[in-house]
Amino acid sequence: MHDLTRSLAWFRPETALALGLLAVVLVDSTLVAWRGFATRAIAAASLAVALGFVLELQAAGAQGTLFSGMLAVDALASAFKLVLVAAGLLTVLAFSFRNSRELHGLGQGELYALVLALVLSCLLLAAANDLVMLYLALEMVSLTSYVMVAYLKGDRMSNEASLKYILFGAASTGSMLYGLSIFYGLAGTTSLPGLQEYFAGGVPDANRFAVYTATLLALAGFGFKVAAVPFHFWCPDVYQGAATPVTALLSVLPKAAGLAIALRFFYGALSIPRQGPWDLSGGIDWPALLMLVSVLTMTLGNVAALTQTNMKRLLAYSSIAHAGFLLMGIVALSENGARGLLVYLAAYLVMNLGAFLVVTLVHLHDGSFDLRDYPGLYRRAPLLTLAMAFCLLSLVGLPPFVGFLAKLYVFAAVIEQGMGIYATIGAVNAAIAAYYYFKVLKVMTIDAGNEEKPPLRLALVDQAWLVFFLLANVVPLFYWEPIEAWARGALVHYAGR
Amino acid sequence: MIGVGHYLVVAAALFSLGVLGLLTRRNAVSVLMSIELILNAANVNLVAFSRYSAGGLGGQVFAAFVIVVAAAEVAVALAIVLTLYRLRRTPNLDDADILKG
Repeated sequence: MHDLTRSLAWFRPETALALGLLAVVLVDSTLVAWRGFATRAIAAASLAVALGFVLELQAAGAQGTLFSGMLAVDALASAFKLVLVAAGLLTVLAFSFRNSRELHGLGQGELYALVLALVLSCLLLAAANDLVMLYLALEMVSLTSYVMVAYLKGDRMSNEASLKYILFGAASTGSMLYGLSIFYGLAGTTSLPGLQEYFAGGVPDANRFAVYTATLLALAGFGFKVAAVPFHFWCPDVYQGAATPVTALLSVLPKAAGLAIALRFFYGALSIPRQGPWDLSGGIDWPALLMLVSVLTMTLGNVAALTQTNMKRLLAYSSIAHAGFLLMGIVALSENGARGLLVYLAAYLVMNLGAFLVVTLVHLHDGSFDLRDYPGLYRRAPLLTLAMAFCLLSLVGLPPFVGFLAKLYVFAAVIEQGMGIYATIGAVNAAIAAYYYFKVLKVMTIDAGNEEKPPLRLALVDQAWLVFFLLANVVPLFYWEPIEAWARGALVHYAGR
Repeated sequence: MIGVGHYLVVAAALFSLGVLGLLTRRNAVSVLMSIELILNAANVNLVAFSRYSAGGLGGQVFAAFVIVVAAAEVAVALAIVLTLYRLRRTPNLDDADILKG
């Protein structure tokens, strides 16, 4: 009883989202004329309240587990929750049924209910401290994303995308579950601290193979969520087929939550924390395995992006490549690595959402996602082009944009561990990525075309959000101290154990 | 005497059959059935471990959760397959091929 009451006190962000979700469903079923506006307002309000509660959790420095060890409450979980809720809130506010041409005329309530369910499940996944919770939260994230992708009901692309997503997802999470069942059999417990205890005690040689197989299978689930090679096949198709606001949401939330749980799983169960680099346990060299995945992910993502002309596909491959860079933080197996991952995610959030907002707005006015329709935008919409330029330069990782610092953190963490070759491959990849980001920029500014088309008449709200994303890609660099402190504070849990 | 090993072999066989079905079947419903095989392989593992080695009911509760989630997943998947059928008059996955590149 005491556990339950204490748990509920630390469960406020999730409770706020769950209540918001119920309110959205209720209001949407009343069939009043203004229910579209009301559901969006409720969604934004409950996300804002959840954000406040997460900040409160962070300020309180809460530590412990909830609901008999199912969920962890620590600085790391709170830091990830902050990124997740902020991503949800920014998406709900910056994107709407008005500025997305694909969503025009569709019912709003269901989508906002799904958005809240997605954020809620991502929060649960990021804090999961037990294999049962991990699996349930992962499936909840998956199921809500499948439905969101299928939201454009009569659209063949949307249908095909969701079909590929669900078949791929069900296969990956199924394999993962099989791996988790082996972990349960080995350790005799489903809790992550229990697994850590088991692995720290040393694994007999006879069980080595089982641990290796189980880790590989579990990796299928994490890899699917973060869209890492070879579990990335769904990603370009889903990003292209889904409505752009949904794509923007899916490019950040499940990826961030997947990385959070991968970090928690690999650092919390399969290694032993120490000052400086950590020790491996369980007798398998999973950082080498993840390094291979990371290298393949960034290389394949970048090379495949070079030839794309559909902006949504291009950004999909770019997000795959970024997953590779994000994984560097986990491979480093140190506190600096975990910190780099957090900073990278926060930067990725603003640069990626900004780029997707620009793509949405161009589609709203020109009805095209094709890069070949982008020439002349510099003249027709200077503010939009400038915002896109800032987001793209940030995605490249050039100073003085936030993407630069993000890359700096993860590269420094990797080099610190003596993985110079890995860092070099990363640097080469960043150079390849620069080619296609600059190509988009060149098409928008230098290429001739579309002279006859009138300037884009952007709504005031959209202009304000473009300015927001423009600033968000630069300003944090000059106020770095609090972000550094935030990321440092996020590791209290791991340093303390 | 039947021990945990026998159950593990059955589970591994189920899992392999599921993966084989995933790779070879082209009908969306058959693919969903293969996924069910994979999930049930994990369930057999969980219950067997719970009974023989781990002790406690953790594994059995986990299996119960898996059954519920699997049902939810199939409900969503079938709805999507039904939409596919409505749009193209086929449950064949090879015909869903507009998105590529």
